[in-house]
Amino acid sequence: MAYLLNQLLTKSAARMPEKNAVCARGRSLSYRELDEQSNQLAHLLREHGLQNGERVGLFIPKCVDSIVSMFGVMKAGGVYVPLDPQAPLDRVAYIVRNCDMKALICTPEQFKGLTAHDVGCVQFTILNGGAQQTEEENGSARLIPWNTIKSFATSHGPDCPRVTTDLAYMLYTSGSTGRPKGVMLTHQNALTFVNWCAESFQVRSEDRLSNHAPLHFDLSVFDVYNAIEAGATVYLITNEILLFPKSLAKFIEENKITIWYSVPSALVLLLLHVDLKGHDLSSLRVVLFAGEVFAMKYLRQLTELLPRPDFYNLYGPTETNVCTYYKVERPRLAELDRLPIGRACGNTEVFAVDEEDEIAKPGEVGELFVRGPGVTPGYWGDPEKTKKSVVPNRFQVHFEEKAYRTGDQVILGADGNYDFVGRRDSQVKSRGYRIELGEIESALLSHAAVEEAAAVAIPDEEIGARIRVFVSTHNGNSVTPADLQKYCATRIPKYMVPEQIEMRDTLPKTSTGKVDRVLLASSEASC
Amino acid sequence: MENQLDNTRDQIRTFVVEELARRKGIAEFTDEESLTENGVVDSLGTFRLVTFLENQFNLRIADEEIVHENFRSISEIDRFVNSKLKKN
Repeated sequence: MAYLLNQLLTKSAARMPEKNAVCARGRSLSYRELDEQSNQLAHLLREHGLQNGERVGLFIPKCVDSIVSMFGVMKAGGVYVPLDPQAPLDRVAYIVRNCDMKALICTPEQFKGLTAHDVGCVQFTILNGGAQQTEEENGSARLIPWNTIKSFATSHGPDCPRVTTDLAYMLYTSGSTGRPKGVMLTHQNALTFVNWCAESFQVRSEDRLSNHAPLHFDLSVFDVYNAIEAGATVYLITNEILLFPKSLAKFIEENKITIWYSVPSALVLLLLHVDLKGHDLSSLRVVLFAGEVFAMKYLRQLTELLPRPDFYNLYGPTETNVCTYYKVERPRLAELDRLPIGRACGNTEVFAVDEEDEIAKPGEVGELFVRGPGVTPGYWGDPEKTKKSVVPNRFQVHFEEKAYRTGDQVILGADGNYDFVGRRDSQVKSRGYRIELGEIESALLSHAAVEEAAAVAIPDEEIGARIRVFVSTHNGNSVTPADLQKYCATRIPKYMVPEQIEMRDTLPKTSTGKVDRVLLASSEASC
Repeated sequence: MENQLDNTRDQIRTFVVEELARRKGIAEFTDEESLTENGVVDSLGTFRLVTFLENQFNLRIADEEIVHENFRSISEIDRFVNSKLKKN
């Protein structure tokens, strides 16, 4: 049994070396090639001084080399940190510094942009794609062309023993205080989920999985590692297909995708903009979705148009990956108002805790807690934040154990399924992206002209939520919404930049003097 | 019509800048730059762009035509629109 994620690849490569492992942008790698190239990259990383547990950033558009990089870093004993290729460089540089990255894998263009920022902790950079130069020194950062990996041994990775509780990767998510936070994930965390999926969805080597989510998004963990575990093939979906529903439908049809996993909004996009009857999507046998609430009317339509596949609602924050699941029962869809998040996955336990700190009774609202080997050890370099979320499980009386408090309010139904009813805080989901409204407000408040800022979420059936922002400025300042949008884009990811900013002389307050977000949200909803 | 053919690119660029890029805080990009890679166009943006092109240039754009090849960059959108206008 594999106890490290990279062992999944080694095993499958030994079983079926010539089978295609990963395809993207017209390139594909067999299991042998993926195994050999990741061995070579691992040797290169070690040769340049990477030590066990050190972080390596992946800052390249999604391609087959991204997968080589993920495995290469783990084989070198390192921890990979996938970065959003479209994120503002200021934010990327913050992440680089925050986790003290030793190495970066990026394109020459992205490297050029980053050099204007403080990324002094990076000791060497591997340049992937674009014009490949020869090895050269550039200040303190050594630049190494990707092709250099060819000079290293292919047959096995470097000898750097790791254990299952070592970190495998880190995913940065929106943080309420204005800076992203790094969720640490161990090999065991990921394998707990991968093993459960392998069993539950019976992933086989004949399967053809799509990878819709970006690699810095935890949905991709299933696509990549369950494909590799099973000796199946994963097809990475790049932006040129992803943004065009017709191309996406064609992609599923032509690649005969059997297992699909995405946020609901991607499926809604297909449903609303493509005549699905005109496409042969009969290869699909499992459709998984997660990350946000699926509007029932769209799910009903989709299940009617796609009669064959099993549909599953998967639920879980990045800190636990998926922790509950609900298999959609077609006959029951007509009577449901909302889709349950279901019950705990294997090797995972969930429970709801009420305001008195007791287990909530069925039918009563409680906060969902998660325990088991899937739960993150915490946030990188932030013991305070970790303490607030990864807490001692007070219901475990015989020994010390941690549980993750999700901040999600749930109700346990009579049938044993949990229902999601809302958040304890101001985190929202838009197109599956997890957004802390506080992070948007912090970005705006850091602008010199802004006096007050309030972000509110307006529910939206197609994309989950739309963010509206209300701003008041210091007296006499003529800053425009466009100025503020431009400013935000240098600090927060594009999906967080508010599409609409309304300027007010002053923001309404509650009796306690706080900005009245409820009033703002309702005034917006009624317009 | 003559006038339209002359400045389609400007009109497309103005819409993309004002309605799509600015809302995402993106100020500068070239006519050749990939709008899907630089984040100017997202999935909803694609459809707003299609609606704009149909109304502005009195075109009918088929589902089959809403693909990356036609919407990759300002230049490609301009080429696509002009080829449609010439057929009309």
